[in-house]
Formats: sequence, C-alpha cells, structure tokens
Amino acid sequence: MPEIGGSDLFVLEFGDILHYYSPYTLTLFLLALIFTGLAILSRPEGQVDIAFGGDAYYAKETAVSEMRFRRFMTIACGLATMGAMGSGDIFNFTLFASLVGITNVGIVAAVKSRHVLDAAYEYGIVAMVATLPLFGGAALILATTGTLSIPALAAGAIAVPPVGKALLALGVIGEGMAPFYAAKAEMFRAPGAPYVIMCSLSSLLIFLRVVEIAITI
Amino acid sequence: MIEYLVFAAAFGLLLLGLHRKVIARVQMRPGPPVWQEILHALKFSFKSTWIPKTASAALYVGVVLVGIGIWSAALFIVLAGESILILFAIYMLHKVVEHGFGLSSGSPYGKFGGVRSVISAASEIPLFVTIAAIYLFTGSLLLRDITAYQAVHGPFLLIAPPVAIAMYLVILSKLPYGPFSIVESKELVSGYKTEHFGVWRAGISVIDGLKTFVLLYAFVAIFVGAVPFWAALVIMAVILVSLSFVCAITPMLSPFDSVTIQGLITGLMLAYVGYLWWVMP
Repeated sequence: MPEIGGSDLFVLEFGDILHYYSPYTLTLFLLALIFTGLAILSRPEGQVDIAFGGDAYYAKETAVSEMRFRRFMTIACGLATMGAMGSGDIFNFTLFASLVGITNVGIVAAVKSRHVLDAAYEYGIVAMVATLPLFGGAALILATTGTLSIPALAAGAIAVPPVGKALLALGVIGEGMAPFYAAKAEMFRAPGAPYVIMCSLSSLLIFLRVVEIAITI
Repeated sequence: MIEYLVFAAAFGLLLLGLHRKVIARVQMRPGPPVWQEILHALKFSFKSTWIPKTASAALYVGVVLVGIGIWSAALFIVLAGESILILFAIYMLHKVVEHGFGLSSGSPYGKFGGVRSVISAASEIPLFVTIAAIYLFTGSLLLRDITAYQAVHGPFLLIAPPVAIAMYLVILSKLPYGPFSIVESKELVSGYKTEHFGVWRAGISVIDGLKTFVLLYAFVAIFVGAVPFWAALVIMAVILVSLSFVCAITPMLSPFDSVTIQGLITGLMLAYVGYLWWVMP
C-alpha cells in the first residue's frame, strides 16, 4: 500500500475483517477517543442568551434526562467514528459513516428548540440522500474489482474506477461537509457543547479518512 | 524537544507581532511593538484564572490542551518530514478546537464565533486540492519525498503556482485581522476566544504561535524546498509581511461573502487539478 499517512503501525485482524492504523489514522482515532472521553466527563454548559430589548440575560439549563440521551448518542457517534478511522474495509467504512449521520441527528434530537429540530430534520434528509452515493460508490467498486478490502484494492491488481471513489467521497461530504453543511451549522446553536462538538468532529474525521482511502486505492 | 516547541511558539508569536506592526504602518498608525504578542502570552500566564460558572468545565479546559497537543504534534511532523496529510488533518481539526472554545463557555459571543468557525469550513477544501495536486507530481505525501522531488525538479512555487496561491489563501484565512477572520470579528468581541482568560488565554496564544510557525514553515518546505533553517525563517517572515499587506488593505468580508469567495477558490482549484490529472502521464 502507498504510505500516504506514514508506515503502518499495527494491523488488527477480526477473521477476514481488517483494521489497520498508520500515524495518520491513529491520530484521527485518538482525537475521536479524546473528544468522546470529554463528552463522558463534561457536564453541558449553561448557554447564556440575551433577551433583546432590555439588559436581561438568562442561562439555559439542560435537563438530566435530555443530557443522558444526548450523551448516549454522542458516545455512539464517537464509537462509530473510531470504527471508521481504522477500518480496512470499504463496506464497514460506509456503515460507520452512515451511523455517524444517524447519531448526529440523535445528538440534537432531544433539544427542545424548534429551530434546532428543523435544522436536524433538514440535515437528516441531506444525510439520508447522501447514503445513496456512499453505498453506490462502494457497490460500484465491488462490482468492478470483486473486493472491498482496502489493502487488496491498494495492491492495484484491478484499477478502481475514479467515479466509484468520487461517489464515495460525495457520500461522506453529504454527511456534513461543505457545501452540504448549511443545515448542520444551524444544529450547532443547540446547547450542550460536549455533545454538539461531536457532530462537527465526526464529519471532519470521516471526511479526512475518505480522502486517505480515495488516494490509497 | 521542548526547546523546539518554545522556539516555534516564541517565533510564531513574534511573527504575529510583526503582522500587527505591518498592518498598523500600512494604515499609518504606530502600532504595538513587534514583541507585543509574546508579552501578551507572558502577561496572561500570571493573571488570575478560573472557570466561568456557566462553562462546561472539562471541555473548557480540555480544548486548550487538545489545541496545544495537536499543534505540537504538527510541529514535529513538519520537522521530521512526515506525511503532510497528517499536518492538514490537524489544520482541519483546529476548527473543532475553535468550535470547542466558542461553545464550552456558554457565552453568546463565543457561541457565534464557534458557529462562524463551522460556517467557514469551506476554507479547508482548497487544502485538500493542494494535497491532491502535489500527489500528482510526487506520488508521495511524505514531506521529505516532496523536498527531494524539488531538489531535482525545482521548487513547486514555479512548477505549480496556482497550488501555492491556494495554500497562501488557506494561511491567509487563518491569520487575524484578515478578510476571512470572521471568527474573531469585533462585533463578537473576540469571537470564540472571548471567555478564555488568564492561563487559558496564554494557552491560546501558544496555539496561535505554534500554528503560525507550522503553517509558514510547511509552506516553505512544500513550495520552496529544502533550505537552511535560518533562510526558512527569513522566507517565512517575508511571506508573513506580504500577508499582512493583504490584511491591511482588505476589509473583513461578511460571513456569507467569505464562504462564497472560498467556495469559488475551491472550484478554480478543482478545475486546475482536473486539468493536471488530464494532461499528466
């Protein structure tokens, strides 16, 4: 395999399923781990809002039941992101990427704000539509090459069609990167920073991983 | 190792001081002394420090440590000639750190700084187009391979100038007082930095110093090639002064204009890389 993220540090085998870690993917994995840890340890902030037309301001409180649900979704999102970082199989990667999209909606689904829920709904539609090129790209690669194993594809026995790579990247971008992130940016207005930040981090990390996959194969 | 970190942070802060000075002189103001940013970092180190009552404490402190950690790692990646993909991943992840700074305090100013940070994510895309273009030439993303390629074929600045311009704009979008500095705009007080004070603010200064040093040093290594260390420092200062001129004469764009222009740059870069991919053997 081309060592675009540095030499492989170690390979983790689960039968025929492979996880590999280079300095690049390990860095991404560790960041997902750190922010998942911070989400577990942190309590949500009391987001301060100004009441316009006066000098008053108030701090929003996050209810314990809401906090528990959102923390659970954040941990799930963190685990899905960590899985996507080390995956040596494109099918597993697409599953983890779509799980990131689902949990991103879940992280803000319990927020009692119409604006945030509208944004989450819009993001959910974009993320759902994006799964079509995501899985379509993987299917195209499988149909052309007969495998979805990244090391096997990187060996270069059969050329991977560029359109397959492009669809895969488009699917990941649809999970929350520019230019499909307009609705997602509005989701970040929700209180609960340790949870909301995972929405941003997970999208970035899976995008960074798909760049590595697209260049490697 | 620690001496590299201290030097890089101090030199980066000195460059940021120079940045403020040049902007001021272009605008016919005296401006602060060049070492002002170093003095700021030292001053904040000894200021009283606490955590706001409304803040998410672990995240509020954690993002400062993560920020210092990722840029320290970036420095050693550049010095060791490792993969620029890691370096640019760190550049993108800095956005999450900015986001964390802004949201963790509960302040509305910080929050809007954080939200703007997410909106301005379009500025990162030209970076990957830069990487793709370099990979087309070198077939490797290891910095040592890229400098070795330039030793044979000449600097990338001359081989692929549009790629160098794209990275120049990426660095510009991370500099304070520039046309794309919407995350620290004055209507948001200090944007995502507003509620971090005392030692936490000194930590942000260290992050800013390291970030400035790493990005400019990487620019020299990627587009000029292997030069003596002192020459790299001089070239970094020259590049920064040119960036300061741009910042001094360009008004800050509105958030949506900023994103639109960065999007257009991305489109042009994609067309250029597509052209390279088409014509290269």
